[in-house]
Amino acid sequence: MQDALLAPFLRLLDDISPSTAVRSAEVGHAHDIWLKLSESGFLDALVSERDGGAGLQPRDVANLLLASGRRLLPAPFGETMVARALATRAGMRLPTTPILLWPENSQGKLRSSLAPVWAGATHALVQRGDQVSLRALGQFAAPADGYALPAATLATAAPVASFTLEPDALLSWSATLTAVAMAGAMAGVLDMTIDHVNTREQFGRKLGQFQAIQHQLAIMAEQTTATCTAARIALSRPLPGPSCLDAAAAKIAANEAAKIVCAIAHAAHGAIGVTAEHDLQLYTRRIKRAVASVGSSAFWADQIGQAHLSEGTDAGVFVRSHWAA
Amino acid sequence: MLDLLHSFALVSPPPAAEALRPRIKAFLTERLGKIPADIRARSWTGFDAEFSRDLANQGWVGFTVPKDYGGGGGSAFDRFVLVEELLLAGAPVAAHWIGDRQSGPLLLRYGTESQRRFFLPRICRGEIFFCIGMSEPNAGSDLAGVRTRAVRDGDFWIMNGSKIWTTHAQKSHYMIALVRTSGGASERQKGLSQFVIDLTLPGVDIRPIVDLAGDAHFSEVFFQDVRLPSDALVGEEGAGWAQVNAELAFERSGPERIYSSIALLDHWVKHLRRAKASSAATRQVGMLMARLATLRQMSLAVTARLASGESPLVEAAILKDLGTQFEQDVPSIIGDTVADDPRLIADQELVRTLAYVSLISPTYSLRGGAREILRGMIARGLGLR
Repeated sequence: MQDALLAPFLRLLDDISPSTAVRSAEVGHAHDIWLKLSESGFLDALVSERDGGAGLQPRDVANLLLASGRRLLPAPFGETMVARALATRAGMRLPTTPILLWPENSQGKLRSSLAPVWAGATHALVQRGDQVSLRALGQFAAPADGYALPAATLATAAPVASFTLEPDALLSWSATLTAVAMAGAMAGVLDMTIDHVNTREQFGRKLGQFQAIQHQLAIMAEQTTATCTAARIALSRPLPGPSCLDAAAAKIAANEAAKIVCAIAHAAHGAIGVTAEHDLQLYTRRIKRAVASVGSSAFWADQIGQAHLSEGTDAGVFVRSHWAA
Repeated sequence: MLDLLHSFALVSPPPAAEALRPRIKAFLTERLGKIPADIRARSWTGFDAEFSRDLANQGWVGFTVPKDYGGGGGSAFDRFVLVEELLLAGAPVAAHWIGDRQSGPLLLRYGTESQRRFFLPRICRGEIFFCIGMSEPNAGSDLAGVRTRAVRDGDFWIMNGSKIWTTHAQKSHYMIALVRTSGGASERQKGLSQFVIDLTLPGVDIRPIVDLAGDAHFSEVFFQDVRLPSDALVGEEGAGWAQVNAELAFERSGPERIYSSIALLDHWVKHLRRAKASSAATRQVGMLMARLATLRQMSLAVTARLASGESPLVEAAILKDLGTQFEQDVPSIIGDTVADDPRLIADQELVRTLAYVSLISPTYSLRGGAREILRGMIARGLGLR
């Protein structure tokens, strides 16, 4: 099932997500990408068959989401897929435009220090307490945040419709999808770095022939595959989706790996990797912004630590009861 | 080349394997009683022949060996659940550990029918224990540099040389050793063969070595003109290198690569529950549990690949490197909290466990292939070199 979906999806990514498209989406040109993505039918993958979707579960689309991250697909693909599935389950229809997830606390404050990247979206699914509503986004403005990525804003217009979800369900989804995108992007960074060290020569040898470089790339592979595994665990929970602890383990893995993977990739690339012209920055800029979004390692580690201390079980039982895939 | 995003598929032990868990837990609770954490921390270096035989009576030694050879006929996941519970309980599994984990599977795969008929039922009954003869005084990480040699002499092989760091050789009945049978050291991986050696043979001399924590779990083993019968050869003459690598994938991927510090971690968390954890400690607990959750899943993924007959050397190397880092970080993180917490010092059991684990933890990333060797293998898997 997964492989049958993946091949056509990878062909679609070749078409809509080359680095030129990723770059032009940063200055607001994302319309064509979205058009092709919505025509592809993938957006309703998680919507039940009764409601006209493919009736898949998050674990079935894990490979698609990881592949999107690996190619920096400049559209809120996973977010829209999740928003459409959750809304349809609640009997609500959404417009066929890109939709962001917007988890708030009970006072209506976004639970992330950085707003989601705009990425062509028209609306956000906003959760406050157990209430989830669809709200329009403000007009696209020039990149405002320090990561040179356009941050979304909520429009002042009233919510379109609403339904209820377990409190913080969207926070868990948001952190999970962020971690999945990071895992994919780290795989992309590793792809580029392998290519670079197998090409670039110094001291009369390919960089990849130096043991120091080999070991650094091995570490990148370890960190990337661990993040990928944590992300898959979170996606293994059926709809309505990941638990708080699922999201926590995934975002912690992604955040911790990101520091290591980005640092090694830049070190291996040398000065060329910090130029605007080179594509490495497209990846590391997004990964670093993601680290600073939807919860730090410390925040998520608190959730897990408190749960383990209060539940009173041994580590083996705790791990199996919360993260059995 | 390693397929980064797809090399660790998500799998769970099937319900039949999970169904074993309560029975195993109940047996261990009853059989082991309450063991102090610093003894539990020795788990797979803790040698207790009587315990291994009791486990064998339950059918849990050689669990994956076919019933026809006296085994349990279980799946790789059955064994995963069994081993996971043994390690979480800190059971002293060292006596049967090597035979169960790798010598048995090796003999099953490469041994002759008569070798299988002789050894496997005895392994499964907990009658004979095995050790692994790989490292030598001048061949540690550079395993292909082994110099111990066996030379044909009529129907016998005459063996000379020595092995070192051989876990529990002094208490084992047999060793499966990697030995040079042709060519010189310059021929590297060629000309190596594996032998199953009866350690009671004349000319075998075993000298235990005391470790930094005061235990003597490993030995140096000397072979002087040891006459091995021709049927001591395991598998093909000259195919020792390939056989040993297949064996190492079993050695690197099990839950023992993530749970070596679990007795310390569990005891520390118990302490934190009693003593109201600081917010810093709570976070440390959370970080460690998050890592453990991921590692367990990676171990299951490699188990699934092994079960389907693959030899996922690169994935096993990734798991072992990450897993042993986790195992080594546990005493390092907990050790750091001790200095600020006088209540912790008062818990003598915790201090003893911490001392043992932090002293012995450097071995976690040595046994079964050093970190640097594993990273070289991973780099090759990525297409470097």
